[in-house]
Amino acid sequence: MTEVLTGAQIICRTLLEQGVDLVFGYPGGAIMPFYHALPEYPGLRHVLVRHEQAAAHAADGYARATGRAGVCVATSGPGATNLVTGLATAHMDSTPVVAITGQVPRGMIGRDAFQETDIIGITQPITKHSVLVEDVEDLADSVREALTVAVEGRPGPVLVDVPKDVQQAKAEWRSRAAAAPPGRGAVPPLAEAVRLLAAAERPLIMAGHGVILSGAYEELRRLAERTGMPVITTLLGISGFPESHPLHLGMPGMHGEVHVNRAIQQADLILGIGLRFDDRVTGNLAAFARGAKVIHVELDPSEIGKNVPTEIGLVGDAREILRALLAEIAPRDCEAWRAEIAGFARPRHDGFRGELSPESILGAIDGASGGRCTIVSDVGQHQMWVAKLYPYRRPNTHLTSGGLGTMGFAVPAAMGAALARPDEPVWAISGDGGFQMNMQEIATMVQEGIPVKMAVFNNGYLGMVRQWQQFFHGRRYSATPIWSPDYVRLAEAYGIFGRRVERGADVDGAVRDAVAHPGPALVEFLIEQEANVFPMIPPGASLSEPIEGEPAAPRLVPA
Amino acid sequence: MSGLRVVTVLLEDRLITINRAVGLLRRRNLPVRSLAVGPTDAPGISRLTIMLQSDDATAERAAQHLEKIIGVREAAAVLPAAAVAREMALVKLRPPAERYAELLDVVQLYHATVVDESSDVVIVELTGSEAFVLSCIRALERFEILEVARSGTVALESGATAPRTGTHPQLEAGVR
Repeated sequence: MTEVLTGAQIICRTLLEQGVDLVFGYPGGAIMPFYHALPEYPGLRHVLVRHEQAAAHAADGYARATGRAGVCVATSGPGATNLVTGLATAHMDSTPVVAITGQVPRGMIGRDAFQETDIIGITQPITKHSVLVEDVEDLADSVREALTVAVEGRPGPVLVDVPKDVQQAKAEWRSRAAAAPPGRGAVPPLAEAVRLLAAAERPLIMAGHGVILSGAYEELRRLAERTGMPVITTLLGISGFPESHPLHLGMPGMHGEVHVNRAIQQADLILGIGLRFDDRVTGNLAAFARGAKVIHVELDPSEIGKNVPTEIGLVGDAREILRALLAEIAPRDCEAWRAEIAGFARPRHDGFRGELSPESILGAIDGASGGRCTIVSDVGQHQMWVAKLYPYRRPNTHLTSGGLGTMGFAVPAAMGAALARPDEPVWAISGDGGFQMNMQEIATMVQEGIPVKMAVFNNGYLGMVRQWQQFFHGRRYSATPIWSPDYVRLAEAYGIFGRRVERGADVDGAVRDAVAHPGPALVEFLIEQEANVFPMIPPGASLSEPIEGEPAAPRLVPA
Repeated sequence: MSGLRVVTVLLEDRLITINRAVGLLRRRNLPVRSLAVGPTDAPGISRLTIMLQSDDATAERAAQHLEKIIGVREAAAVLPAAAVAREMALVKLRPPAERYAELLDVVQLYHATVVDESSDVVIVELTGSEAFVLSCIRALERFEILEVARSGTVALESGATAPRTGTHPQLEAGVR
């Protein structure tokens, strides 16, 4: 079927053709032709955010929840630059986000026109790909390519910059079926890996985001059960393996439990699956797992050996490689090794005074949703509590900004997740700092009827920074005390459910009421002001040097 | 072991693609010694030659990162011993009249050529490995160098290595 359409109509038609039915955006001068065409395509739902950063995070949250590309739209200049943090977040965590930006008309590019920025140049290091569409004849294919490139292989953000006059120009548009998802590719030879796995006495599995991106949950569980190998899940690997499984150890790294990090340091073999061996996971690289050979299963060959010396790199899709491994690997057990690890465990340091512990709040959230809910966390102390203390039961139910560590992520990303998962509660859990970075999006939730449940862990501080100041900067709390508005009255101003919880006895009721309320809901928890996240590996130290409780004296500032 | 490493890249001859490739070198903080870019025999395809002062692993990873750029057809780290690597330089000089014959001797010694002469200024063209070019420029210093233009190194792997043809795998699987 051939039609003559404007560039703006071509964008809408092509998005629909490729299966996109939801975009997050904000209009402005250079993207107005797109917004003019939009009402002609009611199948394409538009969510008007209050800040373009939220459009990018919401598209990211949608992408993480569905595995499909999330799409955001902004105008040129400030609209486009406001997307930058969201694109960088998606880039660091390998999530498929497609940004469509308006640009000044072609004849004005390069003349410092009103609201002109070189968004292609600005976003180049934080996108997987980007394209300035200079001819309306290329527009449909550029949109198709963006959606394809974003999801295939190692996912990532793609930006399509469309000059205003290209949106207005006309071209013939021909529908094209959505490209079939690419094959998962070949599996490399596994014999040597199988031999090492069989011979190891103290093997460990470290599972990252790749397990979730490839949907390798079942394969990972079967491999662990077949071999008895304990499983560590990185921050982005959390919910890729059942939290309560007897083989699950927990999260490694800077805030990993002591027994998890000691297991890494004592291991003689690490099977890393879809992770980057990021510095928050490894601590001081020179002292990381010195006795372990590393087998790294990873889709992106440039990750193999990037940070950690690697014995065997297995390039490919995690699920396919785990399947192939399962076909070759003989059952074994690691009982002695697991008993050894159990001996490493320490009683958790109780960093909390008062009744409102993170455990009790997270337990109430889990209980009130019957175990069916998605948790979107922000960045900081609460992020670590949410990562370590929530009992994730189902795959891909923990969404967070891991690599970039973007405060303000949770609230808008939860909007995307809630639209992707309308049948379950989606909780945005933030600190009082991160919440105030994007709380304007409550208005979006109200206007669009997006029933996000928001929990604010309010300790009156930028808590993680304060903790570092306490530990490493002589308790000089510079710029970390932070004032909050009255969140209950804020909720009231937006016309949503609001509740403040100060006593342990009120936690369950407030959470239950928030979940039962049909629309967006905000629950503020006044938690212990100077609680800390334990244990903690000081920056630059090795995994063998945890701080397990309040330091007796101020420590020196690390270099 | 750190030393000179060659990374050769075949890529679409569009500024944005070249920009991406060079931007990646900056972003990854790679120790770039020289860059040279120019057309190839294939229409629409340029060759970017990167000289790195690095170890093998760094050069290999640079090639892997470069290969992920859409529009890059091929990137390969080549051992200098397995490649022919050359650069060209133009050296503008103002030799004192009484030492002109001496200059011509040096030019001949280095298989260089005088390619331009105007009043008292000459331009010498020379070609060779980076070390050869540097030593030649040093030899010319005594004739009052006014300006030097160096091309950066270009290189080809020795033996029968044919560049891969066809498009980037991601584009093949995609819609273009």
